[in-house]
Amino acid sequence: MPPLNYFVVESPDATGREAYERIAGDVLQDLDLIKVVDRLHIYVDPKAPIFIAAGMLRHMPRAIRVTDFANINPGEKEIVLDIGDEAYLAPLLQKLWARYGKENVDQPDRFTVVLPAGLAGEEDLEQMVVADPSETLHKDIIYALQYIAPEGFKVRRQYIKDEKFYYVASEDTLEGDIVETMVAPIFAKMGVTL
Amino acid sequence: MTTLVPVTYKGGVYRHDEIVDLIDDLGGYIVQKHIMAQDVVLQSFVPRDDIDLIREIAKPLAGEVTEAPLVGTEIAVVSPSLEIHHLPHTACDIAEYLRRAGAKTNMVGLARGFGKRIANLNDEERDVINEHDLAVYALGNFEECIRQKFPVLRRGIHVPIVVTGAPDRETLVAIVDPPVEGYVGGIGRIMHRFKRPEELAKLDELVDEVSRTLDARRDVLAKDPLSVFPPRLMAILEERIHEISMLTHPTPVTAQMEGLRLKLPYDSYAPAVRSLEIADGVTIGDIADVTPSRMRNYILIRIKPFSETRILV
Repeated sequence: MPPLNYFVVESPDATGREAYERIAGDVLQDLDLIKVVDRLHIYVDPKAPIFIAAGMLRHMPRAIRVTDFANINPGEKEIVLDIGDEAYLAPLLQKLWARYGKENVDQPDRFTVVLPAGLAGEEDLEQMVVADPSETLHKDIIYALQYIAPEGFKVRRQYIKDEKFYYVASEDTLEGDIVETMVAPIFAKMGVTL
Repeated sequence: MTTLVPVTYKGGVYRHDEIVDLIDDLGGYIVQKHIMAQDVVLQSFVPRDDIDLIREIAKPLAGEVTEAPLVGTEIAVVSPSLEIHHLPHTACDIAEYLRRAGAKTNMVGLARGFGKRIANLNDEERDVINEHDLAVYALGNFEECIRQKFPVLRRGIHVPIVVTGAPDRETLVAIVDPPVEGYVGGIGRIMHRFKRPEELAKLDELVDEVSRTLDARRDVLAKDPLSVFPPRLMAILEERIHEISMLTHPTPVTAQMEGLRLKLPYDSYAPAVRSLEIADGVTIGDIADVTPSRMRNYILIRIKPFSETRILV
């Protein structure tokens, strides 16, 4: 695991601390989030019981546009899109159908999409936003934290906005001011104000 | 009397029927047979004195015979839940490793085995676990959680238990009260496959712990033997109830240390099983309890000891 810029696991239980360090590393690696998370601080105390994970993301990935994965070849009668990476083909087709109608979008094979010329401007097409990875990224981060946290800790509060995120979970009801009393000091340790 | 020892035979499909016949001729029993592509694995009991003979005959077929201490046992691997937190690693790796040592393992994923305050064990889970020879509890990372929830998870379980968890063995021994039969520390909730040497060493330790526990049980059984050796009864059932050959289960009849699980519907087959004559005038009903299993609609046969029946088949 390539090191995050800051990765600390705290726990009163020494064995548990080591185990959670390994779990967090494995989960981030499995879900391919190592490159995305910049700092992560986990505090887990089974006696309280409380699990807190707080951290910062690296810069958010930008939106994916058609030019990022396809070549646009305008012809006299039609515009041919030459797909380089199939990963975004499905959302692209959805967008094209919605914009130009299904009857105008032809897909003769896996890597080619044909549109009638005149219907779409080349510029328009190039700049069309097909997918925004940050949407799913937020979900992925929360899922990863849920996955790292002990399973019995079902009561939870989560937050993710811009680059900061936290996830607090417990078996019992969470105090109303838990964020101020427990999460903010953890952010302070990372040198960040929530 | 010849002593039968549990062994695993691994070899190719080609001419493996000769080995099957040989084991049969020597008076041994095959409790599980797996054919995977070109390979055959036979979990069997063979007379101790004849192991070398089997090795010799298997030599030209490139087959190998190894001792497998857990052949003929059915073990429950109990996981606190079926969520991604506990599966597939740990529980599956443990089950797989025990299977390599010859055991038939079943995974029991508890409905509410997580959380130290809310953990519990329902009657179905309890009964299913009690139908096994031994239960391996794959618990988690925190000493505090194991201390609090294990007494709940073991409530009503009367089969031997081996506990695994992240705290070291000494800590587990200290926090589990009353004591259980086996402890393996250093295996907690792990999110990757067991592949490092130290992790595999832990699994070896678990197999040793399980076999030690079962050996203790075997010693007790030796003092008051069962009325019939379970694999023997298994062979008789397979020969006499032809429907068994039509079942698609990997182990249509599962051998346990003190009985068998027969995967036929209880309601329609129990009377036939009870009245099946296995020796002159002795029926299965005379030497065993034929009861419904809590696992689907199977039949559970629990063989009575000699002291109770005064019959030895």
